[in-house]
Amino acid sequence: MSQSPATPDDLQRYVEQTAAAIGLPIAAADMPTVVAIFATLARVAAPLMEFPLPEEAEPAPVFTAEGVRR
Amino acid sequence: MSAATLGVVETAAAVRAGRLSAVEVTQAALDRIETRNGAINAFTGVTADRALAAAAAVDNALRSGRDPGPLAGVPFAVKNLFDVNDVVRLSGSRIDAARPPATRDATLVARLESAGAILVGTLNMDEYAFGFSTQNSHYGPTRNPHDLSRVAGGSSGGSAAAVAADMVPTALGSDTNGSIRVPAALCGVFGLKPTFGRLSRSGTQLFAASLDHVGPFARSVADVAAVYDALQGPDPSDPACAGRPAEPVTALLEQGTAGLRVAVADGYFTGNGHPEVFAAMEKAAKALGVTRRIELPEPALARAAAMLITASEGADLHLADLKSQAASFDPMTRPLFLSGALVPAVWYVQAQRFRRWYTHKLAALFGDVDVILAPATPYPAFPIGQRMIEIDGRQLPASGHLGVFTQPLSFAGLPVLAAPIAGAGPLPLGLQIIAAPWREDVVLCFAAAAEAAGVLAAPSVRV
Repeated sequence: MSQSPATPDDLQRYVEQTAAAIGLPIAAADMPTVVAIFATLARVAAPLMEFPLPEEAEPAPVFTAEGVRR
Repeated sequence: MSAATLGVVETAAAVRAGRLSAVEVTQAALDRIETRNGAINAFTGVTADRALAAAAAVDNALRSGRDPGPLAGVPFAVKNLFDVNDVVRLSGSRIDAARPPATRDATLVARLESAGAILVGTLNMDEYAFGFSTQNSHYGPTRNPHDLSRVAGGSSGGSAAAVAADMVPTALGSDTNGSIRVPAALCGVFGLKPTFGRLSRSGTQLFAASLDHVGPFARSVADVAAVYDALQGPDPSDPACAGRPAEPVTALLEQGTAGLRVAVADGYFTGNGHPEVFAAMEKAAKALGVTRRIELPEPALARAAAMLITASEGADLHLADLKSQAASFDPMTRPLFLSGALVPAVWYVQAQRFRRWYTHKLAALFGDVDVILAPATPYPAFPIGQRMIEIDGRQLPASGHLGVFTQPLSFAGLPVLAAPIAGAGPLPLGLQIIAAPWREDVVLCFAAAAEAAGVLAAPSVRV
């Protein structure tokens, strides 16, 4: 079931607090643009997160146990 | 015989037959770069000494009866994210300009040189490939050779502009979301993004490893094919390189299109852009006798997923520099990387899982069609400095929206050629020729037929 979409304030707080939590300083002058771009990512992510994927849709990592493809 | 305006195939034929020396051809290219680059700003570095030495070696090989290779004496240049021995790999950044020079050549640079081609320089790009317009704040914008007040497209803008302005007959670029196809379309040249995993990325600066491709630009289909053939082959040093043997396409180009099932991408690919783009697309489809329409599954979600993967992987790759020296980033890319570092893991994983679903759906689609045509960009080149653009009454970021039609295709790793539509208008426009994975042969055969029919052609530049 869909939750209420995040508000602009929610996104602003998320950006500030997540950046702080991962030790990523964001200059005050950059903050409005970073929040706006993150809001775009959140907007396009919303329908993707709602999309019903089957369980067998697993990511396709390029991984081989020996590290490189022979 | 003059070396100016010769393509890849013509140059190699003239050098191999002794009608031109490789040194003459190389010096002519260096002279054109000297004359033209000031206005266009495609090159960030010229490797004149290395080029002239390599050209002399090609001429010596010919004189002593040895085969100098299929691309003998063909000048080429590379986006400045390719390693070139003894040259600092800039990747469009100021940060990397302080790093030591590369100690080897990227795999594809070495392959072209072993085929006899001559590296003449390195080319401008968006910083770390995060952009579609090559408006680089450190090295200046690359200008569109068809209108110097407009962008060249990006992020491989220097590669497309250098080929369009005939400074070199071919160049290499990279494409994560459209960075070969967008500038090819805006500069009116051909740009091939092969199947994901076809060509080695070893010795290139990655951007988003899940989505990064490399490929060639040129002014004709035969030229693209000749270069592509020399680039192919497995390379264990790129873990994403699929290890397939080379499957040369040059000899197949005149096979024709008989039996090919062709359709124009419908729905999503018929909106989100300016009317002139769809008019040019329709005109080209009509001239090629293509009437069938086909819908791709969830292209908007594919683009969204590509954006999330790109932002996350790109940010992680540069996180240490974002933390310690954010001010050294290009103001055009800094906020993109910073916001990418904050993407929640579940969005990223969902995007990767969606990619699996989408790829399966597309594979099924190709059971019923061989070639899909779509516009390459939503509008032609816009003026340098323009931030926003109007689409159906909405104001959208002019650079960011350029990838609207390319992102859903690279996301699935499909082979795509961006090709200039003949007589599109005052500014070039391109279409995308798309086929099933590993069917570059189908893409290029169809393109060769469309070129022979006069539907595709690189418009000439007055320089």
